[in-house]
Amino acid sequence: MQEEFKPQIVGFLCNWCSYTGADLAGATKQKIPASLSVIKVMCSGRVEPVLITTAYLRGADGVLVAGCHPGDCHYREGNYYARRRFALLEKTMETLGLEPERLMLAWVSASEGQRFSEVTNQFAGRIKQMGPSPLKKALL
Amino acid sequence: MKNNGHSTQVLVIGAGIAGIEASLLLANSGAKVYLIERNSYFGGNVIKFEEVFPNMECATCMIAPKQQELLQNEGIELLTLSQVEAVQGSAGDFTVKVKKKARYVDLENCIGCNACFEPCPVEVDNEFEQGFSKRKAIYIPCAGALPNVPAIDTENCLRFKGEDCQACQEACIFEAIDYTQQDEELELKVGAILAATGFKPFDPSKTKQYGYKKFSNVYSDIEIERICASNGPTQGQIVLRDGETPKSVAIIHCVGREEKGYCSSVCCMSSIKLAHFLKKKLPEVKITQFYSDLCIPGRTYQKFYEEVQESGVDFIRARVNEVAEQGKELAIKYKTEDGKENTLNVDMLILAPALEPEANSDKLAEMLGIPQGDGGFFTEKKPDLDSSVTTLKDGIFVAGCTQGPKDIPDTVAQAEAAVGRILSMPR
Amino acid sequence: MAKKIGVYVCECGTNIADNVDIDRVIEAVSPLHDVELVEKYRLLCSEDGKEFLKQSIQEHELTHLVVAACSPKQHELTFMNICAAAGLNPYLFQMVNIREQCAWVTADKKEATEKAITQIKAAIARVRYHVPLEKKEMDVCPDVLVVGGGIAGIKASQLLASPDRKVYLVEKTSSLGGKVKGFKKLFTDMESGSVLIEQELNSLQGNKNVEVLTDSEVEQILGFLGNFEAKIMRKTESEERNLSVGAVVLATGFDLLDPTGLYQYGYGKLDDVYTSLEFEEMNISGGATGGKVLLKNGKPPESVAIIHCVGREEKGYCSRVCCLYSFKFARMLKSQFPDVKVSHFYSDMCIPGKSYQKFYEETKELGVEFVRAGKTEVAQNGKGIVVKYEAEAGKEGEHAADMVILVPAMEPSSDTNKFAQMLGIPLDDEGFLVREHQLLAPVGSSIGGVFVVGCAQGPQNISESIVQSEAAAGKILSSLVPGRKLELEVKTSEISETFCSGCKICISICPYSAITFDEARGIALVNEALCHGCGACAAACPSGAASMKGFTSTQIYQEVVELVR
Repeated sequence: MQEEFKPQIVGFLCNWCSYTGADLAGATKQKIPASLSVIKVMCSGRVEPVLITTAYLRGADGVLVAGCHPGDCHYREGNYYARRRFALLEKTMETLGLEPERLMLAWVSASEGQRFSEVTNQFAGRIKQMGPSPLKKALL
Repeated sequence: MKNNGHSTQVLVIGAGIAGIEASLLLANSGAKVYLIERNSYFGGNVIKFEEVFPNMECATCMIAPKQQELLQNEGIELLTLSQVEAVQGSAGDFTVKVKKKARYVDLENCIGCNACFEPCPVEVDNEFEQGFSKRKAIYIPCAGALPNVPAIDTENCLRFKGEDCQACQEACIFEAIDYTQQDEELELKVGAILAATGFKPFDPSKTKQYGYKKFSNVYSDIEIERICASNGPTQGQIVLRDGETPKSVAIIHCVGREEKGYCSSVCCMSSIKLAHFLKKKLPEVKITQFYSDLCIPGRTYQKFYEEVQESGVDFIRARVNEVAEQGKELAIKYKTEDGKENTLNVDMLILAPALEPEANSDKLAEMLGIPQGDGGFFTEKKPDLDSSVTTLKDGIFVAGCTQGPKDIPDTVAQAEAAVGRILSMPR
Repeated sequence: MAKKIGVYVCECGTNIADNVDIDRVIEAVSPLHDVELVEKYRLLCSEDGKEFLKQSIQEHELTHLVVAACSPKQHELTFMNICAAAGLNPYLFQMVNIREQCAWVTADKKEATEKAITQIKAAIARVRYHVPLEKKEMDVCPDVLVVGGGIAGIKASQLLASPDRKVYLVEKTSSLGGKVKGFKKLFTDMESGSVLIEQELNSLQGNKNVEVLTDSEVEQILGFLGNFEAKIMRKTESEERNLSVGAVVLATGFDLLDPTGLYQYGYGKLDDVYTSLEFEEMNISGGATGGKVLLKNGKPPESVAIIHCVGREEKGYCSRVCCLYSFKFARMLKSQFPDVKVSHFYSDMCIPGKSYQKFYEETKELGVEFVRAGKTEVAQNGKGIVVKYEAEAGKEGEHAADMVILVPAMEPSSDTNKFAQMLGIPLDDEGFLVREHQLLAPVGSSIGGVFVVGCAQGPQNISESIVQSEAAAGKILSSLVPGRKLELEVKTSEISETFCSGCKICISICPYSAITFDEARGIALVNEALCHGCGACAAACPSGAASMKGFTSTQIYQEVVELVR
């Protein structure tokens, strides 16, 4: 019997903006996909590409990195570094035929509880449609 | 009070950005701070904004880390629902009587789950949300407000009006609601006092020509700030009162300038900020701003203005003589400096009013013994020639809009300056 | 030593228990390797809860702690304090958010439970790799170097100096007082600038804790917050002084834009076209005209044109104080020559503040003319001058004058660039030193311990300059307390000497300039006094030499692997 596809999404959230936004989603009882598991980092600039690829290679169906809006980074420039690294990673994934659509970079501010819910649900929806990561079969 | 690590006690009146900054610096130096706040939540005016100029930084993201730090700082005692009743003494030795109104919810036991709201049978306009949404008699003003503990509004609560309603208490599984709490009278002994009570916007209904409170789509900018807010009554959706999206917006600067007799420093920039924000949210919207003199003196302010201009926002130097309703639209009749008259029709009109001292300033000034000068703002000791944070009373300082209308950087600089003064007061 | 990880799951009353099957969580997590116990509690943050936790940690001799409850933003500090009270290093602890980001937002209870289990397992996997971290402290020097002896520098020095805090006030010219000393009158009360400076200098002279070094220039500043070393060159004495200070306040003031390059104003070509500073000089009793305002031909002026915003378009910013001081000029002229015609040419009147509109209107009442003008030109007209201007709506006008005062933009003084380079502080598009934070830290710079105040930081009036110098004093007095060590950020970056290849990538990206290069050893070194713990270096290091305490790649990797198991 075919089991219903339950996506596994790993989210890296920055401590100051996006994590607080996610908390606000909680405080205002928004809906967040159960498929999203969260790792808190101090800054989206901490997220080195190898952590994203590790998640992906280990079987994550989708990886989300969320940080402060450009200009709002608590550490001034961290999110700019995240943006650049992410762009390069997407290109690399594309070149390797590894479905860069399974990655998402989002800016969520501390007061955007609703937006966090929208972004995560939208992403989870996208992953659900795309189906399990092709690397999952390889792992099995 | 030379700073040699000995504990100094300071009273900070007003927990807006100036009060928060000063309190953190003072506590960091080893001083004990009593931070008095009139409302049940703190953060002043800054937490009402979605974004602040000139970098369009998220206001909450900017101020939340400081608020969190403050709540966890053992050197700062935040007294919400509190107001100063009397001040006696002199520099180094003040005795301040503070009235602390009961919250009726225990700050320690309440975990902020909001379960007490639903059962409350009373619904009133939410003042924080400028009346765009309702709240209950037990409430927090908006999502994310700190401390995340509700308060009971005794004026509207049925129980406090004599009825035997216990709906909120019954809904609370943490036994955090306590109707037996009493107002308290505190007596604080402090060495210095900082008045940082902020501003309130001039009420545009005092002007006749703009149609405020007459026509439904004429707004004060503070109302639009809440419409723009992602944690506000429309979750950041820009809508008219009937729910429609505006296609054209006009912003009128200097509302109340004539009545008040001074330029409020920040309104040109906050109007330009609103235009920037609206254009970002509604790329097709047509925005026109009416002003008399553009006041954009701060660092990178002119660049910001030029960017907004380039995005297609029109700036017209004119005097608006009348606003009339024309069907669903508003007809703005204006006269430019060359004497020509014209009319512009828009869906939404935003008024940028002058800044005034906070509501209880008169009473506070009297209690502190500080004269109120131009505009009713607290007078500094030596205007123009010395620091604007010192007053004629030794040991009593002012910071922020209490002393005069100004933007956030100038407010923070004054708060830090007041700390500098306090920490170097002679013993 | 074997690990004993204690896992506690808070029910949060019913807030978590309602939507997460806690017994199922306990069942799923208990069998894990190293997990000593998994217990639930109704409300861990209550007084009872905290006591229970402390006792439990001690009783079971736990080596690591995991608490699954509300958001760490609520109670991470609470539970860290419990660890400390129980004798467990507070950094051997990981908190799991199963309330705001699980129980409160997941529709289905089964899914919420599974999510809670996954997140807790990830936290356990991570916490295994936590190491004890200690709060670090550093000795600091409370003394301060103030650069620039104008009004801002003088005021900063006065406020900062005390018996246990020495202030060095360094001034490159031979006397203190800056620009204000040369202003005959100050707005709005029209009091004397030199008298104001004299008063300030009198109180400064009596201050034994301020050492004034005139005819001196700063050659070099090395070091960091709490530990700067400054090299001062004393020109007249040809000697070098080395100063150890904890903070630096730059109060190097402003210069006026030189209007020579703006040909339309005729500055330097036509007679009797002056800049505002030249006009100020003319009024000083020691000046060339003995304090009287006179034309080059020795006669008093009959019609003075004051042109605002000279150079504003070129510089791209408003200089904030010029409208106001130009009203002052009008009054000074009227008071010397009651019949003189004074006309201002301006584009926008910038008079923010509670008292300044009144000042403007009173100036108008003296019969001073204000003409709103766009492009303005100054040209020779026979023996006199004509001001040609574009009024709004395209009309052109001409105004005859015999004296023109240009009000040029205020620029950061020439020293500003020198210090920007010396300290590595970036300049913004307007040429001023970038603030630590545009709104929340207006007098700080990107370098911890270096403050920029007064017009060096942006055009402003005297009162604002004084406020800024006091603000810098406030920040310094608050953080550099004599006899008290400076507490440093715990979760800082650290760079392994072994693995560092000296590529310097981390140095180039650190937003706080917290990493320096040790030439001798060819490696990068983190200064923990400046590190804010963002992790940008850890993410960028190609050798894996840079790691961030509390957020090592191993720790995060463990979380990742567990979350997708």
